[in-house]
Amino acid sequence: MRAAPSPRLAKWLVAGPPTLFLLVFFAVPALIMVVASFRFPGEFGGLAPLAATRAGEDAGLTTENYALFFGDWIYAQIFAKSFVVAALTTLACLALAYPLALAIARSPRRRRDLMVLLVVLPFASNFLVRVYAWMIILGPLDLLFTPVAVLVGMVYVHLPFMVLPLYTNLEKHDPALLDAAQDLGAGAWQRFWRVTFPLSLPGILAGTALVFIPVLGMFAIPEILGGKDDWLVGNMIKEAFLGTRDWPFGSMLSIMLTLAVLAVAGIAAALGRGGSRGA
Amino acid sequence: MSADGRRRAVLALLAAAPLAARGQQARLHMYNWNNYITEATVAKFELACGCRVVQDYYADNEEMLAKLAAGATGYDLLVPTGNAVQALIRQGALRPLDKSRLPNLANVKPAFMNAWFDPGNAYSVPYAYSITLLGYNEDRMRALGVPTDTWAAIFEPEHLAKVKGKVTVLDSQRELMAAALMYLGHSANDTDPSHWRQARDLVLRAKPYWAAFNAASYFKELTVGNIWLAHGYSNDMYTAQQDALRAGRRFTIGYASPREGAIFALDNLVMHRTGRRPDLAHALVDFLLDGENSATLTNAIGAGNPNAAATAYLRPEIAANRTIFPAPEALAGLQQLRDLERRERRLLNRVWIEIKVR
Amino acid sequence: MRSSPWLWAAAIAAYAFLYVPLAVVVLFSFNDSKLSAEWVGFTLEWYRRLFADDAMLAAAFNSLLIAVVAACAATVLGTMAGIAMHRYRLRGLGFLVLTPVAMPEILLGVSLLVFFVQVLDVTLGLFSVIVAHVTFCIGFVAIIVRARLAGMDESIFEAARDLGATPWQTFRLVTLPLIMPGVVAGLLMSFTLSLDDFVITFFTAGVGVSTLPLQIFTMIKVAVTPEVNAVSTLLMLVTLTMIVVASRVAPDALKGRG
Repeated sequence: MRAAPSPRLAKWLVAGPPTLFLLVFFAVPALIMVVASFRFPGEFGGLAPLAATRAGEDAGLTTENYALFFGDWIYAQIFAKSFVVAALTTLACLALAYPLALAIARSPRRRRDLMVLLVVLPFASNFLVRVYAWMIILGPLDLLFTPVAVLVGMVYVHLPFMVLPLYTNLEKHDPALLDAAQDLGAGAWQRFWRVTFPLSLPGILAGTALVFIPVLGMFAIPEILGGKDDWLVGNMIKEAFLGTRDWPFGSMLSIMLTLAVLAVAGIAAALGRGGSRGA
Repeated sequence: MSADGRRRAVLALLAAAPLAARGQQARLHMYNWNNYITEATVAKFELACGCRVVQDYYADNEEMLAKLAAGATGYDLLVPTGNAVQALIRQGALRPLDKSRLPNLANVKPAFMNAWFDPGNAYSVPYAYSITLLGYNEDRMRALGVPTDTWAAIFEPEHLAKVKGKVTVLDSQRELMAAALMYLGHSANDTDPSHWRQARDLVLRAKPYWAAFNAASYFKELTVGNIWLAHGYSNDMYTAQQDALRAGRRFTIGYASPREGAIFALDNLVMHRTGRRPDLAHALVDFLLDGENSATLTNAIGAGNPNAAATAYLRPEIAANRTIFPAPEALAGLQQLRDLERRERRLLNRVWIEIKVR
Repeated sequence: MRSSPWLWAAAIAAYAFLYVPLAVVVLFSFNDSKLSAEWVGFTLEWYRRLFADDAMLAAAFNSLLIAVVAACAATVLGTMAGIAMHRYRLRGLGFLVLTPVAMPEILLGVSLLVFFVQVLDVTLGLFSVIVAHVTFCIGFVAIIVRARLAGMDESIFEAARDLGATPWQTFRLVTLPLIMPGVVAGLLMSFTLSLDDFVITFFTAGVGVSTLPLQIFTMIKVAVTPEVNAVSTLLMLVTLTMIVVASRVAPDALKGRG
């Protein structure tokens, strides 16, 4: 029998390609943008050069952009508002997705594929077209250009991102556990709350991550369905890149948003680890 | 494979076929506003030159400038508004025109040549124009007694109270601030921070009555009747008016330039330095300067037309429309936006964020 | 397993929520009116126009091509990443994989555009879009695969090792079948994300390369014709066909063994 390849080689073979790909196509561009957040805006948009080519021109690095952010409460306000919208969207998605995922997981194996397919299929049509369909539906109901419209749009677009991770988790729950619980006298609600729910927490966390975070960066839905008061961080960032052409400012905002999100993800991960130890 | 599957495979192949066939032809890359050149015109040109016109689209100048600033290359023709032409010229991004290839240039009305952003028309050729004004549901405005020839309609609570929740304004920093500044009696290009604060306060006072900041779907909402008063572009308002007539609505859509002043946007054909087919680009520009071709766009969407030779081909009711074709005195009262310095852009952005959040 | 009727009612309500706007889209693709505001009459005009619209068809073709290639690449790389993150507890890789998901798309799009054009000096085109799509899809696949592995009983891997299986055999015969539903879910999600993506494609698509979202976005801003509804309806049909064909060809892969 051939000697098994060393575990070290196996690790590099598995972890190597994605790491390399992401280093080149994500880390390096991201680094460029981090540096951009410390630069001056270009005269006509974009970035000012790193080395001054004319006397008196702003060039090189500066902390001016971050000073703007921390020197004013208004940015924190927008961030807070966006977090609230993201949280509400995530909760609504969870409420809708959980029964659906559970129903799919408990169906006979044959039907499950079809049911999962039916969840994903709407999203093969175009995102914008679906949002515009909501305009047609909400318009006569007088709900267009309201926060409710934004929430409905956000939930609608992100629902499968909550359903799929939940389903993959629920699907591998051992039915024997529930049978045992029932034998021990647990009612339906207790079986759910004491057995199914705790086991599904990793799925819930994965789904939450996949909904909460993209919602924070969205601008299309508030722009199309939202009213005068529905302006979120995503809109502010888009305005910086495509409206004012102020790239350093836009980069700075994006980095602040990424940091805020990573902080939330870190807390969630810590909770996840603590939770599973306790279970 | 089922019959259905086979049929779909054929459809997919059919979809690919036109691509394969066209692959051999020369291509002209144009970066244009949505809907700012009719299919008929493009088809006519493609037939004449034996080439293909490939269009990419943008929804406003800022988007186009942003993409170019990021280094997108390969566009032969762009259609920027005056202030964007100014920015592009200053960046050295444009290719000078070869006037010997543009005999039809003489068709352009002298009033539109030698604009402030390109004296001598070294780089740009006027194409079409629009005016930013108020569009409204005529029946509603009459019934409620809201004046439609003044910005007060969207800024004064006494009028807004009657149309609360049925008003949209443009989601554009420059356009909305310009409207507010002009209403307050200042220039649209005023950069005095105290005037900006005045304008901001005016906007914030009116904001509770507005439904939304909207740059895309406002004219559809007008046509359908969900919105009664909108701040928008003359082309869109004309389209809304025609659509409402065709759909047999019980109301009619009207539009008017406010007397305090309105923004006049002159859109121009320019050639980007990285374009690969300047010969085709010149051919298309000359083609579009022909009177009959130029008139096609105006007849389709009610775009303002700076071309004298086009007048003969315009539909009489459009040619007579004094909002789309203002008399010279009225034209003098319209203002054009100029590009701001980057520090000013940043300050304006801060004001805009306040407008959006408070 | 008996499920309560409440569960089924909630599930059906969720499906209804998902499909009502869809029904609106499909319905209005047959509407005899340029504005999708109210039902006027039945017509196939928009489908006729769609098949004559070269630009739209080219965009649809591009979108499908990009989605298939990007989804496959992202699934392979993402599955590897998910396994590596779980098995070897690589914090660094986790960070690298999670951050593209956390970053606003607009930042990813702009950074990639600047990177391609100013650093690599590559002409933008289909390639740049595909690479961009793979970059943001890897994270999604990895998260799902890792979540799937997280709930698994480790002893099964130990048993395989004790029985003398090489790491590759363990992967092929034990791990892969177990995570297959997660992999397939990741593939579906990547396909969907890629097909639908607007922001990142907007910045990384080269001159003359249009995808369906870009095409629709430009149309929707000014002239919303139901041609857009028609193409959406057809796109759903195509996806449905692809998935049905895939389930016939590789039924076990989709169902997952174990």
